Amino acid sequence: MLEVKGLRKEYGGLTAVQGISFTLKPGDIFGFIGSNGAGKTTTIRMISTLLEPTAGTAVLNGADIRRNPMEVRRMLGYMPDFFGLYDDVKVWEYLDFFAAIYQVPPKKRPEVIDSVLELTNLTVKKQAFVQSLSRGMQQRLCLARCLVHDPALLLLDEPASGLDPRARAELKELIAELGRMGKIVIVSSHILPELADFCNTVGIIERGELLAFGPVSQIVKDIQPHRVFSIHMLDHLDSASEHAKTLPGVSDATVAGEHELRVEFVGDLDDQADLLARLIQLGYRVTSFREDSADLEDVFLKLTTGAVN
Amino acid sequence: MIQDRLRTLVTQNPMLIEITRFRRRYFSYSSGNSMNSVVLSLVLICYAGLVLIVAQNRDSINPISIVIFETGLLTLFAPMMLYGAIAGERERRSWDLLLAAPITKSQIVAGKFLGAAGALVIAVAMFQLPILIAAIGSRETNWWFLLVASLDSLTFLLLVCALTIFFSARVKRGLMALGAVLAILATGLIVFPTFVEVAGGSSSTVTNPTLFFHPFYVMAQLMRTIGPGEDAGNAISTLQWGWPQSFVYFALTITLLAWASNTLSFAENEVKFMPQGDKHA
Repeated sequence: MLEVKGLRKEYGGLTAVQGISFTLKPGDIFGFIGSNGAGKTTTIRMISTLLEPTAGTAVLNGADIRRNPMEVRRMLGYMPDFFGLYDDVKVWEYLDFFAAIYQVPPKKRPEVIDSVLELTNLTVKKQAFVQSLSRGMQQRLCLARCLVHDPALLLLDEPASGLDPRARAELKELIAELGRMGKIVIVSSHILPELADFCNTVGIIERGELLAFGPVSQIVKDIQPHRVFSIHMLDHLDSASEHAKTLPGVSDATVAGEHELRVEFVGDLDDQADLLARLIQLGYRVTSFREDSADLEDVFLKLTTGAVN
Repeated sequence: MIQDRLRTLVTQNPMLIEITRFRRRYFSYSSGNSMNSVVLSLVLICYAGLVLIVAQNRDSINPISIVIFETGLLTLFAPMMLYGAIAGERERRSWDLLLAAPITKSQIVAGKFLGAAGALVIAVAMFQLPILIAAIGSRETNWWFLLVASLDSLTFLLLVCALTIFFSARVKRGLMALGAVLAILATGLIVFPTFVEVAGGSSSTVTNPTLFFHPFYVMAQLMRTIGPGEDAGNAISTLQWGWPQSFVYFALTITLLAWASNTLSFAENEVKFMPQGDKHA
């Protein structure tokens, strides 16, 4: 369990993070969304004990980042937005080094290294030098490094930046698997579709303030309480709009284009079926009928202004 | 308690991977770096040449002169090897990974130092062959003085390593650390002694602290008493020339390493998060 309580960071007169609070439980994959400079990395660095909070704290499985930073470090895997790899070492040596730092017993290390290499699909590169790996492989190696001590919390800062589509897809699958393994995963990114795919919880941050927090579906619902249908028809849109407003479940209907009618809808599934049937019955020549569901990107754009600290 | 400290800093310090890294970078063809391989080949050729020259002139070469040569060479080699020890971690941004891991600053500094010391010991060991050839070839070798000179050399080189790590820990850029160390060495070993010599003449050099702790001057004093063509009757005491300097170099080494680990200044000034009084700090 990770409890973030009023985490705040000030640099001189600048407030980078303004008292963020949230709670995550094992298995949660939390997508931390925000523009560049919104405060994502600062928050992650505070949780990872690299930055001292000005106020507030975070508690990971009972260990407070301010009182027991060493205890917290033993339980977390931190993957920054850069590789930070060593030259002149082989893949297995790099992992062995971090396993030693995290006090994995020497006898267990070979087994642990083999298992994280298998998980990250790097087994064939075990004896390769770190600098000889491709960018995607280096990224996976960084993730493998975070896993050698079986951490309870993974902090992944922009893990997919610079990866090709295949590497990105593999990484997403890997992160989803880590969530299934019961780890708390915090992923920061500004590539929204990427996060929506595998995060069960998201938080939107702007100018250091957490604007929204919760499951993706809930946040979308909060921001767009009613559903919107986009109905394309060949003609008579104005009269169709007037007719639609009289139908059950329809709160508003507007002509959105030469052939598009947008209907704001609060009814149930029966009302939805009746809406289409009634329009056709009234003689409107409907060519398409689809729900315009908001996604994370819509939510993000609606909630944020693009301002940075 | 001392045993625990030794275990965490030496025997079970994960940072001892630095030994592997230094060995691979400077003494191995397996790193895959072709530049390193070329330099290593040149060094080995020069080394073979040195051994041959010494073997051919073994009855006329003072072994301590080889110790002096070795010290001069490695005094330049040590900063080159270590200037990026900590500053380089910051530049490479692997520093954050260490800070976010349960490892102490002392372990980091000790690991870096031991890695460099390991590389230095290999280099020093290589020089022992020509030194031994010259010492055996010369009938007047004073083995005790040779040992003290070698100890002076080794402790001074360790001091140079500690000095480089100290600056590497204090600055953001590795090259800044290299510049600072080379400037200090040039000032301490060349500029200041020259100035003192010129200003003070040749009198009372023994009481002059600059020369008293000058490693090359100390080894020159030891060399004067042994070897072919030297005045064996002009013997000096190693209690004055040799041991005090080694002791001071060693003490300074420990001090600088402790200072480096206690005052590590981080690349990003906010990254110094360890509560006061934490037992791991």
